[in-house]
Amino acid sequence: MSETGRPEEHPGHDDYGQRKRRALAMGGEAKLAARRATGVLNARERIDALLDPGTFLESGLFAASTSNPQDRENTPGDGKIAGYGRIEGREVALVVNDFTVKGASSTAVNGRKIGQMKRVATERGLPLVLLGESSGARMPDTMGAAGMGAMLGHDPAQYQRTRETPWASGVLGQCYGSSTWYACIADCNVIRKGAVMAVSSPRLCSLAVGETVDHEELGGWELHTEVTGLADLATDSDEEALEAIRAFLSYLPAHHNEAPPVRPVAPGASAAAERLGDLVPERRTRVYDIRPVLGALADPGSLFELKARFGRPAVTALGRMEGRTVGFIANNPMVKGGALDADACDKITSFLVLCDSFNIPLVLLVDTPGFVIGTEAERKRAPGKIINFMNALSLVSVPKLSIILRKTYGQAYLNMGGGRNSDEVAAWPTAEISFMDPDFAVQVVHGGAEGGFGNTDDPAYQAARERMGRDAQVWDIAAAYGVQHVIRPEETRPWLLRMLEVHRLRLTGGVGQHRLANWPTSY
Amino acid sequence: MARTIVKSEITGTVWKIEVAPGADVSSGDTLIIIESMKMEIPVLANGGGKVLEILVEEQQPVTEGQELVHLES
Repeated sequence: MSETGRPEEHPGHDDYGQRKRRALAMGGEAKLAARRATGVLNARERIDALLDPGTFLESGLFAASTSNPQDRENTPGDGKIAGYGRIEGREVALVVNDFTVKGASSTAVNGRKIGQMKRVATERGLPLVLLGESSGARMPDTMGAAGMGAMLGHDPAQYQRTRETPWASGVLGQCYGSSTWYACIADCNVIRKGAVMAVSSPRLCSLAVGETVDHEELGGWELHTEVTGLADLATDSDEEALEAIRAFLSYLPAHHNEAPPVRPVAPGASAAAERLGDLVPERRTRVYDIRPVLGALADPGSLFELKARFGRPAVTALGRMEGRTVGFIANNPMVKGGALDADACDKITSFLVLCDSFNIPLVLLVDTPGFVIGTEAERKRAPGKIINFMNALSLVSVPKLSIILRKTYGQAYLNMGGGRNSDEVAAWPTAEISFMDPDFAVQVVHGGAEGGFGNTDDPAYQAARERMGRDAQVWDIAAAYGVQHVIRPEETRPWLLRMLEVHRLRLTGGVGQHRLANWPTSY
Repeated sequence: MARTIVKSEITGTVWKIEVAPGADVSSGDTLIIIESMKMEIPVLANGGGKVLEILVEEQQPVTEGQELVHLES
């Protein structure tokens, strides 16, 4: 401090101001202007859009590459901006790639920044946000045996995922290498249209395997939302992607040792659920979209669907019931009649892992003719997928409540929470429960058209079919206490609210056992 | 003029064909109904346009991924 006591007169303070300005300038005005022209936010604008205003506290503002003297001056933040901020008043840790600094490539210094954010998030119980846009490892730092030895593998937990706190990822530009890995081990991955997530760049693909391919085809939003399921949702802009990350985190606790946050709920939240029955056709062969049913059942506007374009015979969505987070798993008869295929099984398994790891009660809405069968299903490893899903469901320790709307058969009955695979099962009076569809059952048991009956007009066939149909009605399973409740559609929301209260994890303060916490990060 | 191909999402049997070549359809309209797993599963137009060609007949078995209808948009 100077003799006058004014800190700014110390030469160190001038230096501070200058160095800070340089760090905040990122990769320079030319690169920033080029980005702006394409309508894409830069790293610091993304931080502002993500966080509550004025809450960002940077960690490592003065970090820079130390691998060689010339990089020291032109690598502000070393290309990855880290720090803490608040989302809806709650602390989070974040790492945001700054592509304008050497393509946000990975180095020893910025690796330390990522390590610090992950460590603090995990040990102190903060959600972690990772915004990816990186070209991969920095060259030449990582080249050669010396580079590999110096740079890689010194943190054996670098890609370890044990789900102590929720991680949300945004793929907001080109992501190759570590930014792709982090996107894939996050609990929710949002991709902005036009961004790309792939193992390696199109250029390297062309060099290494001679494949000419463009970004979109290699790792664009359509691929990852429809074919791979590695992205949970796609947005049109950076701003929407960041809003989606905020929304996702609003359903989740800050860490695995607390219950999810509770939101106030507006009066009249139950009004739409009183007309639930109107949304489901009574005729057993008619299809319908289950999503309006979920929308009417949950608190108004609270549904947040994950992987909507992938494994579509199933719907997985976070939502709220009287302000409390629940995870909805539903068959969607609109797609494949609600018959679960291999992708739908994978999607549900991944959702079970999310909900179980973060103490989110599950609500299953059941209306399925079974699993998709046939050669295509077998080639897609349906048996493995079905039992993986079943195993996950049986390991879940959060409350599980299931409601059978119309039909449920065979193994799908168990996978969708039938019997003791839910804590409580309710069925609508229209529910139909059996080992298989009565039309098939009558043919399997009685030999079908070539067997005992001449054709399906045969009165004996008709009688057998009618018997099978009657045997599948809800009353026999209710008599056997195989379902605990038979409820009318309009009673569904009040029943669910009450059951969520009955089955609240009181003994552990709303916290489950997390037996899926180290299950795979994709399927 | 782009040609859009509508494929079957499931293995089953063509139960009903709901449109004729030359018809104008909007995105989400039902083109064909496939019977599979004892359910009537609609095949929806994946974009608006004119029906150019219907590649299947009623009662014909179809497999997952099979082309059913060509639209011109």
